[in-house]
Amino acid sequence: MNPNSAYWQIISASVAGSSHEKQALPCQDAHIYREIDPHQFIVAVADGAGSASLADVGAQLAVKTATQLIEEYLSSVEDTATVDWNTQLLAVVNQTKQAIEAEADHRDILARELATTLILGVITDSTIAIVQIGDGAVVVEDQQGTLMALTIPASGEYLNETTFLVSPNALESAQIHVWSGMPKYLAIFSDGLQMLGLKMPEGKPHPPFFSPLFRFVETIGDRTEAEQQLISFLRSPRVNQRTDDDLTLILAAKMPSSAT
Amino acid sequence: MHEFSGHKRSPFLCLLTKTPLCALFIVDDSLVFWVMWMVRVKNQNMRLEEAVEFAENPEPRCPCVLLLDTSASMQGEPLDGLNVGLMTFRENLIKDELAKKRVEIAVITFDNQVKIIQDFVTADRFEPPMLTAQGQTYMGTAIGEALDMIASRKAEYRNNGITYYRPWVFMITDGEPQGESDRITEQAIKRIRDEEANKQVAFFAVGVEGANMERLGEIAERTPLKLKGLDFREMFIWLSASMQTVSHSKVDEQVALPPPGWGTV
Repeated sequence: MNPNSAYWQIISASVAGSSHEKQALPCQDAHIYREIDPHQFIVAVADGAGSASLADVGAQLAVKTATQLIEEYLSSVEDTATVDWNTQLLAVVNQTKQAIEAEADHRDILARELATTLILGVITDSTIAIVQIGDGAVVVEDQQGTLMALTIPASGEYLNETTFLVSPNALESAQIHVWSGMPKYLAIFSDGLQMLGLKMPEGKPHPPFFSPLFRFVETIGDRTEAEQQLISFLRSPRVNQRTDDDLTLILAAKMPSSAT
Repeated sequence: MHEFSGHKRSPFLCLLTKTPLCALFIVDDSLVFWVMWMVRVKNQNMRLEEAVEFAENPEPRCPCVLLLDTSASMQGEPLDGLNVGLMTFRENLIKDELAKKRVEIAVITFDNQVKIIQDFVTADRFEPPMLTAQGQTYMGTAIGEALDMIASRKAEYRNNGITYYRPWVFMITDGEPQGESDRITEQAIKRIRDEEANKQVAFFAVGVEGANMERLGEIAERTPLKLKGLDFREMFIWLSASMQTVSHSKVDEQVALPPPGWGTV
């Protein structure tokens, strides 16, 4: 078996919450994933604040800017094993925050109208480097089958208050986690799914939530059909009985190479 | 013991005779394979929705204390309106799948006694009380009671790992504090001011016909609203809609509430 022909299989979806559909609001979640090569990819998930008039714009700008910056940085790096992710991720977050503030200036609005959370991650075969401002979470299962959360949803005393990129204490509150190991599965989601997938308030991942989803991303046949399945799951009555928030889910599985 | 056919039994028959779907189809192995394939395809189509199990998390709570003046002057139409309004409040909340499990209602009445007539209960289990009127208006004492109830409730939530939204106190009165010492009223005013500043509670005051709006303005931080006539029903519809908004999606510090059409500033 040639380990170098192993690759990551990724699928994702963002759907507008049923409450937003009722109010004819757009989906205020945004996400991007970008495969650099079969062994490395970037993910970004952003959730716009419900009270921000241009939350969808803020979220889209955040994921676009953050992934662009990380991609540029990675293309300048020879050996990713030498990267100081703590410093790099914070720098990218800071620049993304500034980009949002600049956009607010440009539109002549308050920065809070573009308020959004942000999760940004760089995943390789042996490292997962994450920075998170606000809520949502990143969950990984390693090759030994151990399931763990790399970040937990950040909130203040009240459930509906979290930190945003435009918040004054955004950088101080940022969770940064650089995990080394042998990742097999990954799930990144915005806060709509956190009460379904995590035991709160500890933020412990609930295995029967993630196992079927990991099996699903591992056995994707027709990609379009699989995307439809993921979307209909997120729109299903069972899910909507528990949350009417916007939902974003990115799933990834490390696929072993086939024997030649 | 059933015999489904005269043919030699295939090993698959033994599995399939357990499922009603297959009871009619047993002839030979090729048909058996087809049936098993159909069952598996059907299961794949239900895969994620059926297979994914959710973590058991208690619903986040949105506590709301209704602080109601039942002094003698409320007797008659105002109190009748209030009683009907409470029923409207409940009816509207329970129509919302999330709000009915998340909004918790407590009711405190004040006249010359302060009574907790309903401790915190989720909207789907709230039975609106029938209120009666008498006596003076121990408003300051009642405010203290409401804020104490909220502090206790938060401690209970924290001890039980339950997340919550910023609590509301919604006070309805047709007068002003009467029959209690100024000191008590002053204490209540200070507590409201401090707790609003620390974002511990959101305190709203509504004045009914006859209310001393100026005095209410001194007591509550937020500008009190004057009810138009006795339109309690509209007010409670607004309150239930506001509770629904708070109990749903994430918002920044300021909740964007529906504008009150039932009152004036």
